[in-house]
Amino acid sequence: MVKRIAYFDASHDFPEQIAMAAGLEPYKILGNVHEPNDPADQYLQSFLCPAARSMLTEALTGDQDWEGIVIAHGCDATNRFYDIWKRHVDTDFLYWFYNPLNDTPSAINFFKVELKRMKDVFERQFDVSITDDKLWAAIKLSNDIKGRLQELSTMRAVKDIPNRDYFNACVQAVQMPRKELLSSLDETINDWKGRDAFPADKSPVLLTGSDVTYVEWMDTLDDAGLRVVRDDLSIGERYFARLIPHPSEGDPLDSIIQYHVTIPRPATKNPPEPRLDYLMNAMEESNLNMVISQNLKFCEPYAFDSVFTVNALKEKGYQVIHLEREFSPTKDMSLRTRLEAFREMATTNRVEKHSRL
Amino acid sequence: MSGSMETKNASPERVRVRNLPSTGKLKGIMMRYMLKSKIVELFRRKSAWVTAGFPVEICYVYGVHPLHPENSACISGARKYSLELIEHAESLGFSRDLCSYFKTNVGATEKGIKLKQGGIGKPTFMGSTNTICDTHVKWFQIQARRMEVPYFGFDIPSAVAGTGDARMEEYIDYVVAQFYDFFDFMEDLTGKKITEKKFQEVLRKSDKLCELWHEIYKYRKDVPTPVAFQDTLAAIFPMVLLPGLDVGIKYYQALLKDIKERVAEGKGAMPPGKEKYRLIFEGIPMWYRIKFFHELANYGAVVTYEPYTFSFGPRKRLGLPLDESLRDFARLMIDVPYNYSLEKRIEYFEQVIDEYNIDGVILHSNMSCRPSCSGMLDLKKSIQRDKGIPVWVMDCDQNDPRSYAEGPMKNRMESFIELLEQNKE
Repeated sequence: MVKRIAYFDASHDFPEQIAMAAGLEPYKILGNVHEPNDPADQYLQSFLCPAARSMLTEALTGDQDWEGIVIAHGCDATNRFYDIWKRHVDTDFLYWFYNPLNDTPSAINFFKVELKRMKDVFERQFDVSITDDKLWAAIKLSNDIKGRLQELSTMRAVKDIPNRDYFNACVQAVQMPRKELLSSLDETINDWKGRDAFPADKSPVLLTGSDVTYVEWMDTLDDAGLRVVRDDLSIGERYFARLIPHPSEGDPLDSIIQYHVTIPRPATKNPPEPRLDYLMNAMEESNLNMVISQNLKFCEPYAFDSVFTVNALKEKGYQVIHLEREFSPTKDMSLRTRLEAFREMATTNRVEKHSRL
Repeated sequence: MSGSMETKNASPERVRVRNLPSTGKLKGIMMRYMLKSKIVELFRRKSAWVTAGFPVEICYVYGVHPLHPENSACISGARKYSLELIEHAESLGFSRDLCSYFKTNVGATEKGIKLKQGGIGKPTFMGSTNTICDTHVKWFQIQARRMEVPYFGFDIPSAVAGTGDARMEEYIDYVVAQFYDFFDFMEDLTGKKITEKKFQEVLRKSDKLCELWHEIYKYRKDVPTPVAFQDTLAAIFPMVLLPGLDVGIKYYQALLKDIKERVAEGKGAMPPGKEKYRLIFEGIPMWYRIKFFHELANYGAVVTYEPYTFSFGPRKRLGLPLDESLRDFARLMIDVPYNYSLEKRIEYFEQVIDEYNIDGVILHSNMSCRPSCSGMLDLKKSIQRDKGIPVWVMDCDQNDPRSYAEGPMKNRMESFIELLEQNKE
């Protein structure tokens, strides 16, 4: 019998390995864009993050088999909505985990205090002993998953992998029970290896900005001829770009901390430079020219970052489009037209640039 | 219902809220502060941009002149410049949904407007915390990069509902560790070391301000209230920016003297017999439309308590060794009204309602301050259920006049007044 622990975080802030070492299967709450947010809207105004409201709706209305819920600090929505979840969501166990804002030595020390506390609380709550061996095993399993995702990710640039296929594989990685997940990812790797080459009528792009939590938006990009071959999203590379250090000896909690401060940093963290560094490196590493920066309506951290990020990428000579999107699965033809125009302009510019060389 | 109809149809006669005589002194204090800011800029002395929630006292310990972009943005709002500045920031790509203070500041720095219009000079460094909002962090990350100055960000863990004492102590440990990081940062920047004597002196002055502020608030419990929001909304300035100086203390002492005289004479902020409804106003006011509060007064409604202004005056424990003082300071950064958990916020409001004889509450559902809006609907329901008084969740914005629609706002105000009237009956 699989025991699931659900979590709500702003990006990739929840230390899954502690839950895994406690014998629980982490399940990332993503909400459901197809369901109205009415249940959550009883408690939250409509100008607050629609994705976070959808996640609350899922917790309020779903027929859940969760052993409990962890809310991990990322943005204001996690901090401030925790109390609303506590008041209205029916669960036996709701836990608050504070993933620090900074990456300084003080922050790292505090991160360890928080991890130890969470470990102790989980041991008591679920009546288990979370040993170092169990944590190392969880880290190894996590790395096996991340390694497979890395393999899938690299195929995006060389094979015909629709955006939805990549997105669905990433969603599986944060929602499916781990053991099933490994075999599912292996099947996907085999499937993708047999796919056709990267289609000539598509253009490779890097996708950045607010986390995308529903597949329809990835379809919109495909419809406009844009293939996401790199990204820094939480349902994406942020989750697997780095492996958790697994030294021959040491404290597994230190490895988890080291991992969290070196993953592609979201806009919710300080300092902001590492996020841009990751994007620049990805563009260069994958020889890309086009960037899609998008912002979910009312997602403040990325809206703040977008101007600087977009300008920095443009200064580097990349073709960048910035879009704001509603939280909706509906096909948006005007958005598609903008994306098609961007693609046309960007590819023309690239041809001209190369013909001048 | 005849009373309601009267309220709805007749234009109320103008009721003049009387400012305290000493409130006028604030203008001089602000002018002197602006003059000093200009001198600091011209002579390239050390200065810092700080936000609400940042331990501004430390700036005084190191002799660094603090500048407050939020305060400057209020000035732009009150002087009707904010819209132009906000639109300029939006023309640079910043979303309409982002904080209007932030955009006012971006516009102000880009356009280089004068200090008295809400302009602000380039600082030596910027410092903020995430205790109130992510915006404070993102804002200074952006502006520090634009102006090429260093940024120090305090990370303040959120004390959510149910946070126990042991965990609070861990949070305090973390904040204290960051104080020491900040001292290192300041030492590198200024070449000065922190002295406990100076620290205690600044802390004592800061606490004196807060002590006087609490006393002012104590008098606001009187019926009629001797002090309205029309006085307190600007009077917070010394606590926000001058906690290490004597000038604010003298100003608050003058305010208190006025208040005591009013109380002795049995007079209030409203003309005799005009105070009908005592209100709480939660959130940052609409600086571009302070007239709103005068319009409320025309209906006999006076804002008697604001968590926003009260939050700036937490009392400090004095005479402790440095480390203990820092722990106390850290606790205040984690646990003040503007970041109370929902449970604590409800308890706080209900206590204020009782102590200040409150008849109704206005909750500013402020597009520019989403964190403060979170939990507001639960707060409203709880107050209505437990205290049986009307609560108006008012959708608007602190510095963006585009969000203030005259007609609908007037209608809602009238409806709220009707509810207050019915509830009194």
